[in-house]
Amino acid sequence: MQIDNLNIKTPSSNNIIDNDFRSSKPPVLEALNISKSFDMTQALDGVSLEMRPGEIHALVGENGAGKSTLIKILTGIQQANQGELRLSGLPVKINNSQEAQAYGIAAIYQEPMLFPDLDVAENIFISHQDQGFFVRWDKMYKDAEKILNDLGVRIDVRNPAIGLTIAEQQAVEIAKAISMNVRVLIMDEPTASLSDHEVNQLFRTVMQLKQEKNVAILFISHRLEEVFEIADRITVLRDGKHISTNLCSAVTKDGLVREMVGREIDQFYAKDETRTVGISVFSVKNLSKESTFSNINFELHKGEILGFAGLVGSRRTDVALAIFGISPADSGSIEIEGKLVEINSPQTAKKLGIAYMTEDRRQLGLVMSMSITSNITLASLSKYLIRFGIIKREKERKTANEFKNRLQIKTTSVEEEVGILSGGNQQKVMISKWLNTQPKIIILDEPTRGIDVGAKAEVHSMMRQLAEKGFSIICISSDLPEVLALSDRILVMREGRQMGIVESQHATQESIMSLAMGQSKESNYA
Amino acid sequence: MLNAMVALSIIVIVVGVYFSVRKKINSVKVNNISNLLHRLRPETLRELILLLLILLVVIFFSIVIDHYLNARLFNRVSTSVAIIGILAIGQALVVLTRNIDLSVGAVVGFTAYFVGQQLSQNNEMTPLVAICMAIGIGALMGSFNGFLVAFCRIPAIIVTLGTMALFRTLLVEYSDAQTVLTVNLPQWLLELPRINVVSYEGLHFRLVVAVMCVVVILFHLILRYTSFGRKIYAVGSNPEAAANSGFQSRKIIFITFVMCGALAGLTGFMYLARFGNITVVAGSGLELKSVAAVVVGGINIFGGSGSIFGATLGAVMIDLLENSLIRWLQISEFWRDAMLGMLILCSVATDSVVMKRFRKYRLKKITQKEEKL
Repeated sequence: MQIDNLNIKTPSSNNIIDNDFRSSKPPVLEALNISKSFDMTQALDGVSLEMRPGEIHALVGENGAGKSTLIKILTGIQQANQGELRLSGLPVKINNSQEAQAYGIAAIYQEPMLFPDLDVAENIFISHQDQGFFVRWDKMYKDAEKILNDLGVRIDVRNPAIGLTIAEQQAVEIAKAISMNVRVLIMDEPTASLSDHEVNQLFRTVMQLKQEKNVAILFISHRLEEVFEIADRITVLRDGKHISTNLCSAVTKDGLVREMVGREIDQFYAKDETRTVGISVFSVKNLSKESTFSNINFELHKGEILGFAGLVGSRRTDVALAIFGISPADSGSIEIEGKLVEINSPQTAKKLGIAYMTEDRRQLGLVMSMSITSNITLASLSKYLIRFGIIKREKERKTANEFKNRLQIKTTSVEEEVGILSGGNQQKVMISKWLNTQPKIIILDEPTRGIDVGAKAEVHSMMRQLAEKGFSIICISSDLPEVLALSDRILVMREGRQMGIVESQHATQESIMSLAMGQSKESNYA
Repeated sequence: MLNAMVALSIIVIVVGVYFSVRKKINSVKVNNISNLLHRLRPETLRELILLLLILLVVIFFSIVIDHYLNARLFNRVSTSVAIIGILAIGQALVVLTRNIDLSVGAVVGFTAYFVGQQLSQNNEMTPLVAICMAIGIGALMGSFNGFLVAFCRIPAIIVTLGTMALFRTLLVEYSDAQTVLTVNLPQWLLELPRINVVSYEGLHFRLVVAVMCVVVILFHLILRYTSFGRKIYAVGSNPEAAANSGFQSRKIIFITFVMCGALAGLTGFMYLARFGNITVVAGSGLELKSVAAVVVGGINIFGGSGSIFGATLGAVMIDLLENSLIRWLQISEFWRDAMLGMLILCSVATDSVVMKRFRKYRLKKITQKEEKL
């Protein structure tokens, strides 16, 4: 680990490279020392970025590195706490996405946002308010055709958007941006749901845009090959900080991966002694789900923590949802303690002793308007019933208070609404809820997302205790040091495929990251 | 008389506040009003405000109308609340699960007519059979709604808009444009609305009002103390989380529609007893009043929060206004509907503006407390 830190370039060396480059063209959009924090977490910390006309600038980083926040600030969806944005050298304030559009900044996302029932031309000109009261259909169709032709895209502008492929939809989004005289185009993982052929098609369009229209393009992708194929310059973000900006030709893939993961390991990520794991209690064979994931195979032992690592879009959560029966798999088998089981609803999963603690506490995990007590007993209500379905409130409150003390949920009373607790405390309530079902297998999906450092450490020690008591745990986490420190073994996924299972003693952040980004396992150990 | 009623209402409010914060007073000392205020749950505050508003309405009308405040007002409002109140409870159950039942008016009309018809032809039928028949028919109609909403996944507003017309047409077909007449009904039924449980100086506590109170308390207890009630709130407040916790949301939604239908059936029976003459338009307009009562009573139209007690207060408010405006000669009868509409808009507006602020304020206070711990 220490060797990695030495390899990272110091900020001064980056500046030299930048200075060489700066002579060419003045930047159209600059972000200077942007900082942004949400309640507890510092999402961006003094990040600077320059975008020049006719240049493709790639932005890379792990999940949670701050890429999305930076895009949101550039497009006016969120505002920075500190720092300034400069457009052609002049400081500007972008308060909302309309203003961003007016400045010629447009963004395209992984899932295009078109109006499915309107036709292609209408979608392209949807936000043009300057065309007068009546729609001039002929002119609109002609203009739309011209834009698409310039881009080298063949789509009938009179077709409704609903029949288009995702690549075509993205082309329409690009055309929409051009129609608004775009100067800066931000593309947030545009290739994530595209096939190879469609990616090539998209890249041709993007190159056209770069060369003909002289647009500055910010390209975000998790696929490093693509970044190297298309980008002129690459900026790496890590933990909300700017790590480096280099010409594409000046960096290597390995160097990039190192920069993306090379964070210092503080002591609470210290790896614990290897646990003694017991017999296999849960095994998954060839689990597949149409266009989601395929051929997932693993065994989970008693008292083991199995980490699930991967980048956004690696479909780790979908595997968990399939195991828990929320969206069951199409094929493959699941065995619990040697018995073949079929799980097609959360009820069944619950009965079989599986608990799933979702990453989306607000949406899927807790009922925010209910009390802490009610939430803790929600999944095991039958334990608290006397006759006629009447709930024994005293018993409920006793359980809630036990969990409150055991997990140190900070609240004045267990009768408070869950909605008013902090993220860490909500997480503890959700963990209590599922521990109360007395599961054997616990799936934790991003257990420490959005909670502060103190609560994180508490959740970690709790997970270790559970494993020691003989619970089997699957821990899905995008926090690599966390996965490495907690897990006995780590299953790495990439785009719905299982890339391998590594023993965590032999794994490093780099080896896992390389697997997650699609490099073969062998090359890591070479 | 006036003084007595005002005093009584103030006592009710004070006792209400005391009971809602009592438990917490024991643990932490109450220092000042703001401290007391943030201990209140927003829903409780809302019910107390409604109680206060009802009191203000009474005071207002007793000033502008001569001889307004007397025993007859209580008797009249309470009997009419008995009908709309029970209906509102059924509606509340459905609204709590993020649905709506617009067919309740038609269900009331149909059951009132059907049971009236049966009783006219067969005067020997016992009261129990008649009541069970009304509830049964209502439940059957409710289960039709529930089946379409829960298992065919058609939006409730569409299903019940359709069944509203369907059930009404069924009534028209069945009645053959005849009217149930008071003279043909058995004597016990006609006397039923005037039976008193308790009577004091002209103030009559009618049997029908007692029935409503029983239903209110029963459903209040079901929602508060049973797993079924808990599941209703969970499904309405966060369907995904409810499903993840292993609840069968569709079954729960189905049951709430059946219950709503059954309560509408019971309302139909009481409607028959109260009015005697039942035409094919009986009960039309009640669906809007029931929704209004629920919304005014502080039940979130998007489900998940509110209480049966609140819905009942909403029904009281609406009936009180209606009965008072009839007697206020300055207001034309066309304006009565407008007043009702304004009341609904105001209550929804307070919910989204005032209550949101209050929730935020409370959140801040409690976070401060949490940090101290």
